[in-house]
Amino acid sequence: MSHQRIHKVPQPDHIWSYFRLETRPLVLVTVSGILYNVGMVAGPYFEGQLAQCLFDIMKGYKTVSAMVSLAALYLSVILFVQAMRALKRFGVRRFANDTSRNMRHMLYNSLVHMSREKLEKENLGSVMTKAVADVDTCVEGMRKFTTEVFDTGVVLVAYTVMLFSYDWRLALLSCAFTPFAYLIAGHLKGRVAQTNAAYKKSAGRLNGATMDRVSNAVTYRVYGCEQNRDAAYEVRLSDYEKRAVAANLWENTMQPLYNIISMCGAVLILYLGAQNVLGTGWKSWDIAAFTTFLSCFTKMALKSSHAAKLFNAVQKAQVSWARIKPLMKEYIGLDSISLPNVKPIELILSNVSVGWTDGETVLKDISFSAHPGQIIGVTGPVACGKSTLGKGFIGEVPYCGSIRVAGRELRELSHCERSQLISYMGHEPELISDTLAENIRLGEPGEIEPFLRAVCLDEEVRQMPQGADTPVGSGGVRLSGGQQARVALARTLYNSRSVLVLDDPFSALDQGTEQTILENLRVLAKDKIVILFSHRLYQFPTFDRVLFLYGGRSIFSTHEKLMQKNPDYAKLYLEQINGGGGHET
Amino acid sequence: MKHKKSLGTVLRLVVATSTATSVFTILVIVLAVITALFPPLILERVVNNLTTGRGIRISLALSYLGFIALSGLLESGQNVMITVFGQKVTHGLRSALCVKLHRLPAAYFTSHEAGKIASCFVNDVDTVDSLFTDGIISMFADGCKVVSILVVIFYKSTGLGFLMLLVTPLLFTMTRLFQKRMLSAQFENRVAVSKVNNHVPETIRNIRMIHVLLREQYMEQRYDDYISESYRATDKSNLYDSIYSPIVIFVRSCVIAVMMVCAAMGGGIREFFGISVGTAVAVIAYVGQVFEPLESLGMEIQNIQSAVAGVKRIDEFLAEPEREMPKNSNAKKGSDAAPIVRFDHVRFGYDDNNDVLQNLSFTVSRGEAVTFVGRTGAGKSTVFRLLLGLYRPLEGRVLIEGLGASDIPDEKKRHLFGYVEQSFHLVEGTVAEQISLFDPAVGREQVESAAKLVGLHDSILALPDGYDTPASEAAFSQGQFQLLSIARAVAASPEILLLDEITANLDSNTECHVLDALERAAKGRTVLSISHRLQEHVNGQRIIQIGASDVAV
Repeated sequence: MSHQRIHKVPQPDHIWSYFRLETRPLVLVTVSGILYNVGMVAGPYFEGQLAQCLFDIMKGYKTVSAMVSLAALYLSVILFVQAMRALKRFGVRRFANDTSRNMRHMLYNSLVHMSREKLEKENLGSVMTKAVADVDTCVEGMRKFTTEVFDTGVVLVAYTVMLFSYDWRLALLSCAFTPFAYLIAGHLKGRVAQTNAAYKKSAGRLNGATMDRVSNAVTYRVYGCEQNRDAAYEVRLSDYEKRAVAANLWENTMQPLYNIISMCGAVLILYLGAQNVLGTGWKSWDIAAFTTFLSCFTKMALKSSHAAKLFNAVQKAQVSWARIKPLMKEYIGLDSISLPNVKPIELILSNVSVGWTDGETVLKDISFSAHPGQIIGVTGPVACGKSTLGKGFIGEVPYCGSIRVAGRELRELSHCERSQLISYMGHEPELISDTLAENIRLGEPGEIEPFLRAVCLDEEVRQMPQGADTPVGSGGVRLSGGQQARVALARTLYNSRSVLVLDDPFSALDQGTEQTILENLRVLAKDKIVILFSHRLYQFPTFDRVLFLYGGRSIFSTHEKLMQKNPDYAKLYLEQINGGGGHET
Repeated sequence: MKHKKSLGTVLRLVVATSTATSVFTILVIVLAVITALFPPLILERVVNNLTTGRGIRISLALSYLGFIALSGLLESGQNVMITVFGQKVTHGLRSALCVKLHRLPAAYFTSHEAGKIASCFVNDVDTVDSLFTDGIISMFADGCKVVSILVVIFYKSTGLGFLMLLVTPLLFTMTRLFQKRMLSAQFENRVAVSKVNNHVPETIRNIRMIHVLLREQYMEQRYDDYISESYRATDKSNLYDSIYSPIVIFVRSCVIAVMMVCAAMGGGIREFFGISVGTAVAVIAYVGQVFEPLESLGMEIQNIQSAVAGVKRIDEFLAEPEREMPKNSNAKKGSDAAPIVRFDHVRFGYDDNNDVLQNLSFTVSRGEAVTFVGRTGAGKSTVFRLLLGLYRPLEGRVLIEGLGASDIPDEKKRHLFGYVEQSFHLVEGTVAEQISLFDPAVGREQVESAAKLVGLHDSILALPDGYDTPASEAAFSQGQFQLLSIARAVAASPEILLLDEITANLDSNTECHVLDALERAAKGRTVLSISHRLQEHVNGQRIIQIGASDVAV
């Protein structure tokens, strides 16, 4: 079976899509499930026959050999039935396993393509619960549903047929109680769902609290707040305990009650069935008929009480599915790329304004062009502007006017095409929990040594016990802030495209390191356009051009000219060079 | 006193504090087991009556239903009690884990991923819960059932009793075989699941990098690798799970077949098995009843197996070496005469091989403002961590007001230190709680005055619910988070302010705001700050060089 492949699910927000994908295991489940469940009646039937045979032997009507051949037949039938059962069980589990994998795969696909803005609105803890716990519950419900279609549905039909063939009047009478059980089950369904939803919510809150307590443990410790956080956690725990008990109570205790209601029919069977055996009833029965009928009925009553369980499982799955469903999007693959092979690539901005349409536009009327090999420094005293322009290059902030890269208008490029042209590095190092080397390569094989050297990290890496194979920990916690920033820079350089947008890459570094890295960058990126946003101006004299943003306006020039012509720039520069805030220019 | 806890001691504690629940649970289980024995006995009488041609009285039929109803009700009682008990255990265990969190050294949090620790709290504790509810307690109930039924069978038919005694251990051997195979598969699965769990928050954290560097497929591939790992392990254990129960049922049929044949034989064997037709029917029912709990015992073993991995991890977590807790004595009070901060020949490294700090000595007197400079990675932040008592020096002493830094009780820290970290750690709660950090000692008044001090008061009031607005990443800008960080630090009026590279990542204008806020916050305090850049904002402060003095200026 092709169980190594993970499917891309068409229409992933329809639950039936997942069933459709699993046709093969489901056919197996259907065939073996029907055979097994029809075969279920063989147990009571043969056991009745065995008792009858014993009776006959005792009375001297039959010999032992009859018993031996009956027992052999009984065993071979049971063997076949149970083999079918094993097949069905495995089939259902394989179906559930496949589905769980497909669902997670689809869920992750839509997660990884979600915009940063959208993700920030989602609560981290609840996304986690959603993605993991809900898929489990949902698949569990689907598995139970599939199982019970056969184990309850088919088997009930088989048993009913059997009962009716023995004595239809008694069958009708004794089964009259079962609908009441179903009625009550249907009635309590809502209640079960309600307590279960409350329980789920409480679990989500608890998970959020756990994540908060664990990930901010050091912060809480530094502030001496651990004890009162523990107390708050205790409150969440108590709430969870209460709701878990309530949910379990409703879910687990109904079943025996249903069974009791259904079993009321047994009184009639014992009383009226006995009359059948004694020859005073509706039908003439032997002992075999009596015991088979009773045993069939008992098993059926038990099964119908499982029907309630089915309702619950499906109910639970629905609650989970309702939460997963909006996250399920059509599978997103890589976009097609149609980039003209323009070399050298040029970057031209004309009359660009950047900012959100509903808010005020932050930056207005920026025009400049850049060629490969140039480093453009962008700075300015403006409160918010530099980062916004930077984000404009990666589509996180909309712009007006025209930004052309390689002859194409930026906003008309697909996400994929844009990423093929522009590399960006923001304030956050954004490291994954893997080795240092993998954080730079990200699956793209190649030599990382030159890049480590370029960001002045080679020496430090050599001193690490495992070198570049040192795990960096979650979010890079095992590295210092400066190391994280340099790993991120090395990663950006390793994966760099034609245009390199670096938003304040040196803020966590000392000045000497910054200078060395810049010199290396010039060599490494000689065929690229580098746009470097910074609020530190020491290195600006070495840049090819400077874009100075101030008061919503912009000037594109060289450092020297700006120093001569723009007093704001000159003041900013000299303040930093001379140190301290209050020096005269 | 040593706080060495294991899962076992935690559980004993929980059981000890809920004696009534435990006793009642056991009582209900025993009653449920006993009443379940009756219906087949009544059935035996019914069939024996019929074979001898006598009728059935309605009262006999009704007593059959009565016992079934009673045993059903008791079984529900049993379910409820097991859930209640299981939840008590879960609760107690999570509380114990939370206490442990408190006692772990700071180094633990840097070397372990938050997602994995949280998974211990969430998933592993849940498995321990199922270990109880669907494992041990149910196992006890089912064990009682098996034993009681075996006793009745022995009483009814010695031969069958011996047959059962022969089969039961065989079944158990088989069960153990399955157990071992499944255990390893379950363990593999848990490991994979924890990777899967960790990958989701990591993706959310790194989403911009993933998009910009076009690594969607790469991250998906990693995720797929993790879920496939889990898939394979689950598939393996599913296989064993699928065939176990059918084998058990087949064995049951074999026992019935053998019994019937033996009962049908003449002479001594029939004598030995000695059953009437009525007994045969009852005994078939009993044999069915024995295999049912035996089968669930198999399932319960599976539950216990899957819990073993979780239990192992919880035990490991509880056994993690703990930090030396500060002694909670009020007797030792820092003397005002001693310098507020003193490093005395301190040597420190995070591991044995690499020293970060060597022979570092300095003194800071009350009210002084000091800046630490040094190359990236020279150990400036480490100095702060030692000051805050998060780590202990390998050699030498770190003294705050003459007391060892790591001996200062946690609850005193906030009045001693205000620590402004490089990046703001958002906690789950309202804006006010970002500042107070849920500290009841920091009232609304202090929160507001801290916010006013850093100049955030008006921006906070502009939020939909003011101070009670739930805080999120999107609600504040980078600079505002820095200001919030300062407000958090000064809210409890600490004596010492620690500033870790406070104005990194900010543009000049915001930096101005932050520096103004800092100036106000620093008034009347001892201020220690870290800076990479020698010449900025030092304003005649004392500079302490950390590491070799080759900083390029």
